[in-house]
Amino acid sequence: MNARFKIIFLLAAALPFCFDAVAQQQATSDEHDQHAQHEQHSGHEQSESKQAEATQSKHDHNGHGINTGSEAVAEHEHAHKEHSIDAESHQEESVHDHVHEDHSIDAESHQHSSESEHSEHLGGAADHGDMHHHHHVDDSHIMDHEGTMIMGQNLDKLPSGCKSISGEVEITVRAGRKYAERFPGTVFAFDQQQWHVKPCSKVTFHFTNEDNVRHQFMMHGLPKYIYQYGMFHLEVTGPKTVSGTIIVPGSDDTLLVHCDIAQHMEKGMKAQLVIGKGGQDIPSIPGLTPYNINDIYDAEDLPKISATENKEDKSKVVREITKSLAKSDTQNYLILLIGALIGLFSIPLLRKIISGRKTSKNEE
Amino acid sequence: MSNFIRTIIVIAYLVCASGGTYASLKLPETIRVEPAALTSEPPCDPKIPPAWRDAQVIDGVEIEADLGCSPDNPTWIAVAVKGTNNVSMDTLMQTHFSPDAIIKTDDLDGDGDPDRIVIKLEIMELNGKSPDFPGQVPTFDIAPGVQPGAWVFAPKTSGMSTENFESVRANPLIRLPSPVIRVEQGDIVQIVLENTHYFPHTIHLHGVDHPFHHELNGNDGVSQTSEMELMPGERRIYQFQARQPGTMFYHCHIQTHTHLSMGLGGIIIVEENKPNNWLQTLNIGGGHVRHRSEAIKEQGYDREYDLHYHSMDKELGDIIKQYNDPRLTARDMNRRYEINNATEDYFTINGLSFPYSLRESLVIVEPNEKIKLRLLNSGNESIAIHPHGHTAKITHYDGIEQNPLAQIRRDVFDIAPAQRLDLEIETIDDGLRNTGEGDWLIHDHREKGITTNGMAEGGSMSSIVYTSYLGENGLPNTSHFGVNLDNFFTKEYWERKVPVWQNLDEAATFGAAAGRTINLDAATRNTLLYALGGLLAGLFLYTIFAGRSHIKQCAAAVISRIRGEKGGKE
Repeated sequence: MNARFKIIFLLAAALPFCFDAVAQQQATSDEHDQHAQHEQHSGHEQSESKQAEATQSKHDHNGHGINTGSEAVAEHEHAHKEHSIDAESHQEESVHDHVHEDHSIDAESHQHSSESEHSEHLGGAADHGDMHHHHHVDDSHIMDHEGTMIMGQNLDKLPSGCKSISGEVEITVRAGRKYAERFPGTVFAFDQQQWHVKPCSKVTFHFTNEDNVRHQFMMHGLPKYIYQYGMFHLEVTGPKTVSGTIIVPGSDDTLLVHCDIAQHMEKGMKAQLVIGKGGQDIPSIPGLTPYNINDIYDAEDLPKISATENKEDKSKVVREITKSLAKSDTQNYLILLIGALIGLFSIPLLRKIISGRKTSKNEE
Repeated sequence: MSNFIRTIIVIAYLVCASGGTYASLKLPETIRVEPAALTSEPPCDPKIPPAWRDAQVIDGVEIEADLGCSPDNPTWIAVAVKGTNNVSMDTLMQTHFSPDAIIKTDDLDGDGDPDRIVIKLEIMELNGKSPDFPGQVPTFDIAPGVQPGAWVFAPKTSGMSTENFESVRANPLIRLPSPVIRVEQGDIVQIVLENTHYFPHTIHLHGVDHPFHHELNGNDGVSQTSEMELMPGERRIYQFQARQPGTMFYHCHIQTHTHLSMGLGGIIIVEENKPNNWLQTLNIGGGHVRHRSEAIKEQGYDREYDLHYHSMDKELGDIIKQYNDPRLTARDMNRRYEINNATEDYFTINGLSFPYSLRESLVIVEPNEKIKLRLLNSGNESIAIHPHGHTAKITHYDGIEQNPLAQIRRDVFDIAPAQRLDLEIETIDDGLRNTGEGDWLIHDHREKGITTNGMAEGGSMSSIVYTSYLGENGLPNTSHFGVNLDNFFTKEYWERKVPVWQNLDEAATFGAAAGRTINLDAATRNTLLYALGGLLAGLFLYTIFAGRSHIKQCAAAVISRIRGEKGGKE
């Protein structure tokens, strides 16, 4: 008797798992699609950015491309004194993006960067004329006159678990609204949601903001004896790139990367850096890890394009059916029905088992 | 089942209390909520150093004293006056301003002040939802524990949106109200909107002399006439060169019925063109103007205050606390929110409600002074502002000067939505202009205007305080009247958990009445329920155990019958 109950129980319990598995399979296949799409996407991206670079270098007064400039920051500690974050080239670039809009403001920023000759009527501006071109607060906090920022950069301090640097890696991170398009329900995102690096590797991040507002690449959880508050932080108003370098810890870990501008992380700009085998996953990364708190979605009765006039009646019926199917009540009943069917189909099986037992008993 | 228990308990109680007279002879005791049981806040924000109140000079910028208890960070004022491009690095680094937030260049008319002004604004969400934890982020309290969901224009900042890594409180530059903007008549002004928010927005420059610009998307902020919504992550420039001075209004013109109420509106002032007129381009949080314009000084005003009245609907703000998915937020805001059935719940002055309004928005005066007040009503309904102890002269309606011969003096000022009034208060004790020194309330005389989500005394109340009635800490000195404001500085008061009049006498005549029904506390009730559940489960198991052979037989009979039937069919 007990065994019979157990079997029924098991069958009942197996049901949701089956559903779950199906759902997960769907999800994973979605993910694969996304990955595939993404790969195409990024390929496309690169060609785009190459174009951008090309146009940009045409107008580059200083002969410093954005990328070359920022790599310089990564490689040489004092590179930032040589216009590493090249503001002016960006200015030129943005003119192309906003033909009419940016023109005037652009001209102004130019003026103010070469403002020292105007400074007689600007109060104490002369005192710090050129500083605006490149603010340099201290070694671990570099900021230019547009707020482009590198904080917590570390080029040579080895974390305690590292005897030497295991390797040098460069990672390009793109940020912008368009990267959120593949994640419904988000607005901002990075182009990738996780990056893998080996423990003790020296990683240079090239952070390219493709929006026209501020974005941040802010990493938490680094060792606090090297990184203030355990943070490494790149910030830039796009379209522009900023680069910074860190040496990652020697043990496996997973670190949070996000944009801290109000609601940017919540609305999708969140990722993780996986060191070695990684640690615990960070929650609510788009397409990667589930939210801790989920919204409740209910279907809306929205107008849809109806089929051609001939098929109108038919489509009406179909619509009615699909509509009724979409209702959650109906769905529940359907699941009930499925459950009942499965139960019915399993009767012969049960019977077999039971009869098998009975016969064996009889034999006894 | 719990009902059953409750009934039994109630019956038992009634049996005990029978005799009838017992109930009325002994009424329940009075409960006074003890101060120690409340989450008390210090009346003044302890994070604000008292030195910020002093008159001082930073980077050559003269900053007037502010005797209030939460004055603006004086470095903000220095930055706002000189511009982020001209102020010293040291000063700039004491603020969270982005180095390109306020750019001031080019003295075009040669009168000693910059005439090209670029102001960069971002749009920030306060008290929004997180998918990671149940609370709000970044938080902003308009009164203790009162956190309406809100959106604001914020000066372009640098770094984190919260105070620091460990805090969820908003960076002090990101706050209600949207900042007061000051520009000079004739300045070539560009307001650069960088939409850091997840919804589309624009800026409409209400009352400011601005052209309907063919090339700048209309330049009027209206998505139904000329200008597409500015999408998240995009930037747009609004440009004008105002010929007409006055107190004006800027606000988002997308889904205005919700976006304005959410907080996307602020005061913008065009000051008269004067020589050496370095203006305080942004007055963060409004209130006292600590670096006044040349024109205001010339007109003989001793002090100037920006007072932005606003109202918000709790149910509207709650939408952003409810959903993280922007499609759901948009659905509820744009299609489900019904403004015709909405009521205003929060009434603020400069983004705060009483008692926080006392920290920042006191009108602090001395006798025989002339004070300029600039009032904006950005709420949904008309307001009726009443200053006790004073009458004031209306000098400007909607930024336009009233004929001086026709200017009138009143004691209640009705301001329709979006209207502005410039008031002149003279602290001259002649029985008309002023009736002497004091701590005179200034409040909205629609009575709901002094409530916070229906709880009085809150709302947009503030005071006109004479320095002789101002305490050391910068709050009105009420203690010598026996007035204690401590309860207002607790979140429990605004959660309606503190009897308002309980402290009026020793006996607590108006304390809370204790309950009469037997109230089991939650833990005991749960224990009892579990015990009962256990008992029932035990009984059930026992019956099954006792009748196991019987059940077995029944089941066997049923199965055999089914088999038998099927067999029959075969």
